[in-house]
Amino acid sequence: MSAVTAGEAAAGPADRLAALEAELANARAELDDLNLLYQATIEHGEAVEDQLAEANLALQTTQKRLTEELTEAANYIFSILPEPREAAPRTEWLLVPSTELGGDSFGYHEIDPGHIAFYLLDVCGHGVGAALLSVTAINVLRSAALPNTDFRDPGAVLAALNEAFPMERQNNMYFTIWYGVLTRGTGELRYASGGHPPSVLRRADGSVATLSTPGLAIGMLEGMRYKAASCMIGAGDRLHLVSDGTFEVETAPGEMLEFQAFVEKLSQSESPAEVLDWVRGLNGPGPLPDDFSLLNIQF
Amino acid sequence: MTSLNHETVNGTLVLKPSRRIDSSTAKAFEDDAAALLDKGPKKVVIDATDLDYISSAGLRVILTTAKKAKAAGGGLTIACAKNNVKEVLAVSGFDNIFGLHDSVAQAISALA
Repeated sequence: MSAVTAGEAAAGPADRLAALEAELANARAELDDLNLLYQATIEHGEAVEDQLAEANLALQTTQKRLTEELTEAANYIFSILPEPREAAPRTEWLLVPSTELGGDSFGYHEIDPGHIAFYLLDVCGHGVGAALLSVTAINVLRSAALPNTDFRDPGAVLAALNEAFPMERQNNMYFTIWYGVLTRGTGELRYASGGHPPSVLRRADGSVATLSTPGLAIGMLEGMRYKAASCMIGAGDRLHLVSDGTFEVETAPGEMLEFQAFVEKLSQSESPAEVLDWVRGLNGPGPLPDDFSLLNIQF
Repeated sequence: MTSLNHETVNGTLVLKPSRRIDSSTAKAFEDDAAALLDKGPKKVVIDATDLDYISSAGLRVILTTAKKAKAAGGGLTIACAKNNVKEVLAVSGFDNIFGLHDSVAQAISALA
C-alpha cells in the first residue's frame, strides 16, 4: 500500500475509502487473472501429458508394426530358401543374418534331369534394401528368368545377371555370387564366381581345393565377361559355398581370421552349425559383423 | 579438411589410406577422395603401403572412386598392397580390373 501523501491526507475519509476499495478491486481482479492462468496451466499440462501418452502409444504401435513387418520379410526370405535335399547330392545349410534382414541368399535346383545348379549370393551391405535385391536376384535364378541364357553355362549366367542388375539402376547396390552346375552323367562341375570367396571342395580322399574364377561382383561394371572353370566331382566329395561374412571376423583386435585357417576348419567340419559355433567363439559375444551363410553339398 | 593422407604427383592424386578401410571408415574415405577429385586430378593411385585390411565396404568405395575418376576421363590403380589386402583384391576381381603395382612410381606410369 502506498504511503499517505500530503495531498491524500488532505482528502476526506470517504475519498480514502473509495481509493482503497478501488485498489482492493484491482488486487482481486489480478488474483482472479492469476487463478485463471494457474488453472489454464494445469489444464495445459494435463493436455500435454495426454498428448505425450498418445504419441507414445502411437510410437509403440508403429514400432510393433515395423517389427512385425521385418519379421514377415525375414520369414519370406527363409521361405524361399530351399529345403535341404535328402536325395544325392544331399545338402545342409545355415543362414544367420547379422541384423533382422541380410543380403545373403542361396539356392539350388534341377535345371533339367541331367543338371543341378548351386548358387550363393551376397548383396553388399545388409538391411531391407540389400534383402530386397537379394531375393529378387535369387528368384531370377530359381525361375531362370534371364533372356536367351543357358542356365547350364555359369559364365553366361553371370554375364546376363551383370547386364540385368547394373548398380546404377539398383540404388548403387551390387552383389557377389558363386554359381556352379553339376552334370550328373559325367560328374563335371562347371562354375564361375563374381567377386565372391572361393567355394571349398573337400574330396573323398581328404584333399582340399578352392574353386573360384576371376570376375567382378555383379552390377559393378557393364559389359563384363565371366569365364567358367570346371572340375570333376566324385562320390564322397563335399562342396562348401560361403559368403565373406562367414569368415570375416577378428581373432584379436585388428587381426582378421585368415581365409586359409577358415578353409582348414571348414574342410574338417561335420556340419554348418559346428562352423558357426567356431566362428562365434572367435568373434566373441555379440552378433557377427556380417551375415553368416554356409551351404554344404555332399556328393 | 580431409583426414585422408594424399599428395599429388605430376597431376596424379596419390591416396594413402591408413590401417583399415571397413564399414566404419569407408564413408570418410569416399567423401575425402571425392572432394580431392573435385579439385581437378583425373588419375588416382591408391598407395596401400599402410593398409592392413579392406572389407567389402572398402572395396565399394574404391569402386565409386574409380568410377568418378573414369567419368572425369582418368582412371585408378593400386600400389604396394600387402598380401592379405592382395588376397581380398584378388577375390573381388579388382586386381584384374584396376591392376596391382609394386611401387607408386610404377602405378603412376601405368596410368599415364
